[in-house]
Amino acid sequence: MGRLVARRALHAVPVLLVVTFGVFAVAAASPFDPVKAYAGTAALGADQETLDRLRENLGVDRPFTARWWDWLTGAVTGDLGHSAVMRQPVAEVIGERLVWSTLLCAVAFTAAVLLGTLLGVLAARRPGSPTDRTVTSLAYTLEAAPVFWIALLAIWLFALKLDVLPAGGLTDTASEQVTAQQVLRHVLLPAGVLAVSQLPWFTLYVRQGVGDALAEDPVRGARARGLAERTVLLGHALRSGLLPVLTLIGSRVPELITGALLVETVFSWPGIAAATVTAATAVDFPLLAALTTLATAAVLAGNLLADLLYGLTDPRVKLSEM
Amino acid sequence: MTRPGPLLTVRGLSVRFLMPGGRRIAAVTDARFEVAPGECLALIGESGCGKSVLASALLGLLPANTETAGSARLGDLDLLTAGERTLARTVRGRRIGLIPQSPAAHLTPLRTVRSQLEETLAELTGVRGRAALREAAERAAQRAAFPPDHLDRHPHQLSGGLAQRAATALALAGDPPLLLADEPTTGLDRPLVERTVDELRRHIEADRDRALLMITHDLAAAERIADRVAVMYAGRIVELADAAAFFGTPGPRHPYSRGLLDALPDRAFTPIPGLPPELGDLPAGCAFAPRCPRADTSCTELPPLAGSVACHHPVRPPVPAATPENARA
Amino acid sequence: MADTTAGAVWRPHGTARRSTHTLRLRVSAALMGVTVLAVLLVPPLAQLDQQAVDLAAKLQPPTWAHPFGTDDVGRDLLLRCVYGLRVSLLVGVVAALTATVIGTAVGATAGALGGRTDRAVMRLVDAVASVPHLLLGVFIVAMFRPGVWPVVISVALTHWLSTARIVRAEILSLRSRPCIDAAVSGGASRWRVAVRHLLPGVLPQAGLAAVLMVPHAMWHESALSFLGLGLPTHTASLGTLIQTARGSLLAGDWWPTLFPGLFLVVPTLAVAGLAGVWRERINPRRRSELML
Repeated sequence: MGRLVARRALHAVPVLLVVTFGVFAVAAASPFDPVKAYAGTAALGADQETLDRLRENLGVDRPFTARWWDWLTGAVTGDLGHSAVMRQPVAEVIGERLVWSTLLCAVAFTAAVLLGTLLGVLAARRPGSPTDRTVTSLAYTLEAAPVFWIALLAIWLFALKLDVLPAGGLTDTASEQVTAQQVLRHVLLPAGVLAVSQLPWFTLYVRQGVGDALAEDPVRGARARGLAERTVLLGHALRSGLLPVLTLIGSRVPELITGALLVETVFSWPGIAAATVTAATAVDFPLLAALTTLATAAVLAGNLLADLLYGLTDPRVKLSEM
Repeated sequence: MTRPGPLLTVRGLSVRFLMPGGRRIAAVTDARFEVAPGECLALIGESGCGKSVLASALLGLLPANTETAGSARLGDLDLLTAGERTLARTVRGRRIGLIPQSPAAHLTPLRTVRSQLEETLAELTGVRGRAALREAAERAAQRAAFPPDHLDRHPHQLSGGLAQRAATALALAGDPPLLLADEPTTGLDRPLVERTVDELRRHIEADRDRALLMITHDLAAAERIADRVAVMYAGRIVELADAAAFFGTPGPRHPYSRGLLDALPDRAFTPIPGLPPELGDLPAGCAFAPRCPRADTSCTELPPLAGSVACHHPVRPPVPAATPENARA
Repeated sequence: MADTTAGAVWRPHGTARRSTHTLRLRVSAALMGVTVLAVLLVPPLAQLDQQAVDLAAKLQPPTWAHPFGTDDVGRDLLLRCVYGLRVSLLVGVVAALTATVIGTAVGATAGALGGRTDRAVMRLVDAVASVPHLLLGVFIVAMFRPGVWPVVISVALTHWLSTARIVRAEILSLRSRPCIDAAVSGGASRWRVAVRHLLPGVLPQAGLAAVLMVPHAMWHESALSFLGLGLPTHTASLGTLIQTARGSLLAGDWWPTLFPGLFLVVPTLAVAGLAGVWRERINPRRRSELML
């Protein structure tokens, strides 16, 4: 297993290099001007000489490849630059907000996996039954619905009409400190919406996997032995049917991040995904570059996790051979 | 001394598949045989003649696009009309123990043999508690000559012979009176084949109330342990005979059975010319007629299973012996 | 075949499942029809101008006069949604086509040239695929400033990957066919082989991929517009409509949010449903549903 991890880490390095290089290349090709961004409104009135001196000071008169290298070497030591819009070092922005995003994503992901498995099994039990048709239609419809739309409708329903859950933020507006109870209450709706947006994929894949397993020999053997249908379903069909889903779980990280981007924005959740949108609107390059790299690293970690899970759960596969 | 009634009585059992487009495939037609306690009936035939379908029909394990007709009585229960719940709760594993073809493929790959054996024992025998289950599993494994130190392996790690024994252990777990072995010798070498069928025979000899229905295309294996033989061709039973008379003198009566025996390496080693027909494309009369050396115009009519053979020109035995099934019929 | 079991009583075993094939086909076709109708017919037939501002009638819930209600400055929401759908569709189609062209070019190059080029290109594809779509899209739009073309480019640059993979796979399988060997041994240059023999074989797959990409492209553009990074408000797409509806939502008005979203869901379902039915038809054994 250690070798697999090491090998993957080694593969991740060129990917991160390419991605960060691409980020700097796009920035260089774009009309983005770091000097104007740094100076802000003061740049409008400044003369060319001041701007040139500023350019030299910031080091942005050098080619983007050199700037990229500087940024890389800095990043490895933990210096990710300074965020203009947040008025903090980028590393601090990430440090403060990462935990809230992780909380949101973890709750949502767990809920999606559990609920998706349950619905998938219910649908696969009796293919073509009303349950199956309902679950499948619902899954396809939810899949087609944009998550930010669902988020807004959820706010309308739960926060406005029913008034059972808060409409956003981490804590109640009146409170001064962050308590666990408040956070829990506030995370319910955004995590629920994010879970609902990830749900269809799990439901459909579990339904597929369990449905396939129910038609195969191991289930036939289990039935022939006289096991109760529920034992056959849960102890045999589900076990075999969950395997492909389990191995693909890690590949859902990109969708999770995309969903988090939108959900955190709608609910004003103080996570790094919301910070990304703020950075994009204000064209805060250091923060954007760091967050893009972080997201890529998360995706790569997710892929590694998928492979590890596969090697660990399928007894037919040896990790050392992967 | 009257013999006890048969364990399994099959009359007019037919299975047909409904294919998309309306086509029907008659996998089994009008099967008739019995299995008496204490005996081994070998159901013989080439691949594709419908033997495994018959086994599936007895246990209610047919796919959704099938239709059945006839009856298969196990005691007072008709297996073909009993619902899924009755079959699952009272028949499978409890009254009929299936040893499936490709035994390793019929076990869940992600679980160890031990866990599946314990699960079956818990379901069928009501044993509870970890220690008791563990002990019961080891005993069940030993009953089928499966080495207990291999119980923690996964199915894909078992050799062909070990997988066969694991499947036997599972089939015996509920102590069913009827054992149904579907091609138990596939993929095994000759010495292992002999050992396997001998062990199967031992299971029914240990308890005279048990019976074994063995489905096979391996005639040598059938000769070794069968008491009676049923020959199947193109979905129909074409001969029912005592094993001794079938394999020895006076020999089989149906031309196809004769051809099967003649094809054996240690006999004439002459294969039957031609190929068996497709089950979806059977001729109107005797299905074997195109390949039969004794065929004539009367073979355009389907021969019924009369006496013990379904043929218009069976090979007449030199001395008409009072064969047991004539007496029973 | 003589039915010698005449007189036998046949019992069905198990319940045969009725195929949902025709139902799905009908539903998807109906949804698609509604979309097409809305896009093509409604604007010429409607008497009202979608920009007609009528502050007196602002934020009215659905009525007969305004079936979808009115927005915050009194414009009829049904018309706004239809125009928004047209904009979203236009951007989506252009972006999908651009992505398909890029993807086909890259995939064909990798597949046709093979060897080190192929490996390098696939490494590049894997690297770009490691960045979440929307994040990369947000980054590109942020750098180039919101506008129509940055949005199109942003969508195109994030969606060409799957087309590249599909085209490359198709080319690799086509390459091994005897007709290609014949062309090469007949003296055709690699370029000629690629263009005249390989590309035509690839076009159906690429075309299908392009069609399937349109809903995704629309979604991507809506997300960008919703975040305020997309199209300018005077060419409102469905995403922009939802963004402007946020304000009125918190006041309790649900219809400016609900209907634009429905206009996004319906075409997506229609395309997905038709694509699934079509895939099943050409390849019945494949798991068509799971190309998520």
